[in-house]
Amino acid sequence: MLKVENIVTRYGAIEALKGMSLDAQHGEVTCLLGPNGAGKTTTMFTIAGILSPHSGSITLDGNDLTHQSAPAIVRKGISLVPENRLVFPEMSVADNLAAGAYCRSRSERTAINQDLAEVFDRFPQLKERREQLGGTLSGGEQQMLAIGRALMARPKILMMDEPSLGLAPLIVDEIFKIIQQLNQEGVTILLVEQNARMALKVAHKLYLLEQGAVTFEGSPTEMQQNELIQRAYLGAGAD
Amino acid sequence: MTDFVQNCIDGLMFGSGYALLALGFTLVFGVMKRLNLSFGPSIMLGAYAGTWVYLNISDNAWLVALATVIATIAVGIYVERLCFRAIRHDATIASMVSSFAIWMQLEEVAMHLLPERTYPFPAFFTTTTIEFGPFYARSEHITMLLLTLLLLVLLHVFLFRTRPGLALRSVSDNPLASAYMGINNSNILFLAFALVSVLGGLAGFLILSADTQVTPYFGLWATFKGLIAMMLGGMGSLPGAILGGLLLGIVEANAFWYGGPVIRDLSAYLLLFVMLIVRPGGLIGQKIVAEQRAADERV
Repeated sequence: MLKVENIVTRYGAIEALKGMSLDAQHGEVTCLLGPNGAGKTTTMFTIAGILSPHSGSITLDGNDLTHQSAPAIVRKGISLVPENRLVFPEMSVADNLAAGAYCRSRSERTAINQDLAEVFDRFPQLKERREQLGGTLSGGEQQMLAIGRALMARPKILMMDEPSLGLAPLIVDEIFKIIQQLNQEGVTILLVEQNARMALKVAHKLYLLEQGAVTFEGSPTEMQQNELIQRAYLGAGAD
Repeated sequence: MTDFVQNCIDGLMFGSGYALLALGFTLVFGVMKRLNLSFGPSIMLGAYAGTWVYLNISDNAWLVALATVIATIAVGIYVERLCFRAIRHDATIASMVSSFAIWMQLEEVAMHLLPERTYPFPAFFTTTTIEFGPFYARSEHITMLLLTLLLLVLLHVFLFRTRPGLALRSVSDNPLASAYMGINNSNILFLAFALVSVLGGLAGFLILSADTQVTPYFGLWATFKGLIAMMLGGMGSLPGAILGGLLLGIVEANAFWYGGPVIRDLSAYLLLFVMLIVRPGGLIGQKIVAEQRAADERV
């Protein structure tokens, strides 16, 4: 469905992605794992059109997205739940969600309202706090708001950048339940995580990214069987 | 006591002009987190365009107002390109300093291009004095006050009830997140600048047709009064801008009555000085600053 082939992305002279490829299948959770600075967020930014790749290609269902603008990419069906949530702190919950649907045309108003009702059904806490400012929500609620906001664009593929970052363990469990639930409802997800254990639980396919390139790809079982990865990322012997 | 109340009424009227100027400053500050010091001089050039239309083409009030607003927008776009778009988003000081440079540039242009410097500005409002009890007010000032309040309502509706308004608030709240939502930030900032120029042009037209003349010093005057009124009310707050403008007007009117013109100008700075010590966030801004601090601590 989403195919990233051999992209090279640079920050000035620094090459952050050195020929990165991945393939996210329809209806699956694809997960990008890797240490800090490996290029996980850069991959997300390049797909979302925030950064433009130097070479390589990005296609969604065969449509080329490589050098499209960020608004065009949102319209084509890719939306992002950014790292650290980045809700609009001084806007109400309802306005945050409305901003998520900004790229949809006015003629979709009924569909947008329906999606809003769905988000409120999924996250009843957000409905209770619909007039509250985004910045006054707790970390977990902000993460739900960020997910709801991304869903308001009715994406074909939802990209989530470290949704567990900075949240209490109980909330992390809840967020992963939400991810699984979304996926069961048919949402295709591209997930970036540092929490390898959680990633192994939800992902259908995993990519290990190191220094700007993929060094391993496979299913959760294949990854768990790989001794090197066990030692480096899963703390083998710990349990 | 009668004098004091009368001064307050006069102050409200003058203050509505200040409030309009402050609205322009506070919108740019609220949306872009930057100061546009050349806002006043842009209005001054716009006003000269209005005067030119009045002297050479027509004495129709709508035409003169339109010319003032359009010329203010044109100068506003010039300022936006040079001081805002051309400068990196996080370099707020650089764009403030460059807007100061453009201020000087615009003032020099006015000084050199306009040999007589002081030109008449048409007084479109027929001055009738309206009396109520022992007090009176000039009709053009009442018009100005009502228009200011109307503009505040329109701005509020635009910001909170329309799609471009939602985009504008998103960009101002978190520009990175708004880019992820597929909002074209630079188009929205351009829209904000155009909107601010419309406000500025209208403010200039209203103030100057009450003053009936325009000089190159109007730019300096407008920047100072607008900035002081904005800081009194709280930077970035729309109702704050209105309150700050009205408060400044009332204090100045009383200072003028009891102390004369020198004391009036002094009172504005003294008021700002006291406000910055007592409530550094301004009348309305303080609350927002405190809430933000509490939220930051929680996260």
